[in-house]
Amino acid sequence: MDAPLAMDVDVVAEHEALLQFLYLAPVGLVQADMRGNIAMINPISAQLLMPLAPGACLNNLFDALADVAPELRHVCALFTEPSGMICEGRQIFLRQDARVRLQRGTPNVLSISLVKLDEDRLMAVISDVTEQVRRERQLKHTDAWLSAILTNISDYAIVSLDRAGVVSEWNETIARVTQFGPEVVGQPYSVFFPDGATTHERQFDRLREAEDNGWNLEEGPRMCADGTQFWGSAMISPLPDKGMLLDDEPDTAYCMILRDISDHHAANEAARSAAFSDQLTGVSNRRAFFDAAELELERRRQSPRATSLVVFDVDHLTVINERFGNNAGDQVLRELAALLRTTFREVDVVARMGGKEFAVLLPSTDLAGAFAVAERVRALVAVQPAAQDGKLINYTVSAGVAEMDEQATDLTALMARAEQAMRGAKQDGRNQVAGWHGVAPATPLAH
Amino acid sequence: MTAPALSFDMPDLGPQLAALSDAELDMLDFGVIGFDGDTVVCRYNKIESTDAGLSPQRVLGQPLFTNVAPCMNNFMVATRFEDAMEHGALLDATIDYVLTLRMRPIKVALRLIAVPDAAVRYVLVRRQK
Repeated sequence: MDAPLAMDVDVVAEHEALLQFLYLAPVGLVQADMRGNIAMINPISAQLLMPLAPGACLNNLFDALADVAPELRHVCALFTEPSGMICEGRQIFLRQDARVRLQRGTPNVLSISLVKLDEDRLMAVISDVTEQVRRERQLKHTDAWLSAILTNISDYAIVSLDRAGVVSEWNETIARVTQFGPEVVGQPYSVFFPDGATTHERQFDRLREAEDNGWNLEEGPRMCADGTQFWGSAMISPLPDKGMLLDDEPDTAYCMILRDISDHHAANEAARSAAFSDQLTGVSNRRAFFDAAELELERRRQSPRATSLVVFDVDHLTVINERFGNNAGDQVLRELAALLRTTFREVDVVARMGGKEFAVLLPSTDLAGAFAVAERVRALVAVQPAAQDGKLINYTVSAGVAEMDEQATDLTALMARAEQAMRGAKQDGRNQVAGWHGVAPATPLAH
Repeated sequence: MTAPALSFDMPDLGPQLAALSDAELDMLDFGVIGFDGDTVVCRYNKIESTDAGLSPQRVLGQPLFTNVAPCMNNFMVATRFEDAMEHGALLDATIDYVLTLRMRPIKVALRLIAVPDAAVRYVLVRRQK
């Protein structure tokens, strides 16, 4: 009887070693069904997921990630192959969200890969890639610089700017690329930008950044004299101090090289859009939002200006889903996203932040200005039902608006204010916009 | 030997656990993990060993948050112990959590106990009904 007993002991020890191997694997592993219901989960998954939804029970993978990656459920539903890789190394951005408080020791970026094994089984690998993303971002900076120099370009214009960013000289290259004639001299360089693609403060930000870094590079829509647009890159470099100017010498402080990179842009747009857009609605995803917001707030620290945030939330989306089916809810989100894009300016950052929540960051805009646009969206939504399979779906949105001030100096605080205002709008009956106007002191001053 | 009359949520549990022998810890109806100032596990009772499927010799002598319970290595658990130690403050808090015992998500209550100057700190585990 000794032999079987010895074998049992071996099997038990082996089982225990395997168990410990899974406990200690330094990467999150989850097995779930296609609806996200978790069958098996290892400790690193709990370490990474629990802070996202404290008090949750980790019964469902999509629920656990709903606040930070609302699109995952949709991405899996869209995957119709019998098996295969659904997504690989998809990045989920967590930082500076009002709901996921930034805590010491909490990662900023998670990566998730999803593999469909069969109709009933999904495997997920989750890991903390915060450091990796930080390194990638530094590399990207260098890449942008190189690509600006090396890309095949259709043409370029050399524009001289004075200290205030006003065009100080005209030459043939300006006419070739933008069709502007000599009358462009004396106009601010925003003349090459379509309406809403820049702000007065943003124009100065770029000059200052060129001063600080030796150059500033930006891609975006540009405008010709006849109003047509092209996709361009603009590189601004400060010129060396020329000392005393001669009377007839124009006061040129910067050189701006304007290039038409439309072809290059079209080729890169698909890849860019996959990484920075929300799959369902096409607006920015959380990653793009946080990137853009961080940059804008850094500029605001350098040179203070008004900055506002609007948070939109679809009213009663669950009821819409129940009555018309989940596709109807998706259609509502798509139509709302399209409306946000056309109503807000190019310079505003429109992003999907959660299942039914959108955020818009408005540079150089105060509370009243942001409120007015939010109200315009609310009113439009109320009279424009979404259309799905010939059916019209009436819906409404609630919005909260907040502006940065001395008390709210980071994105987390601004988000918290806008969300608080939005909850107020919900409580007051929905289909309305509420501004954050501060809270009265809890205790009256002592006499 | 009779089972010690200690319950998961009674007050001032830290010093009382310290007074129990290993055999007495094994008779408690909740999980006990004790670890020292360097987070090395020095106490591990029977119910915890059974639920996790790991025998004590695989766990004792190992750093808790990296080699035994990496699921607790975040601001909800590990950071609270670090903060309490840094400030020499008393930590006695109970939180809802999910452990991945044998790779299944199990809802538990965790009680985190660190008494200033005590040699052993504790994570207590009670399964939620």
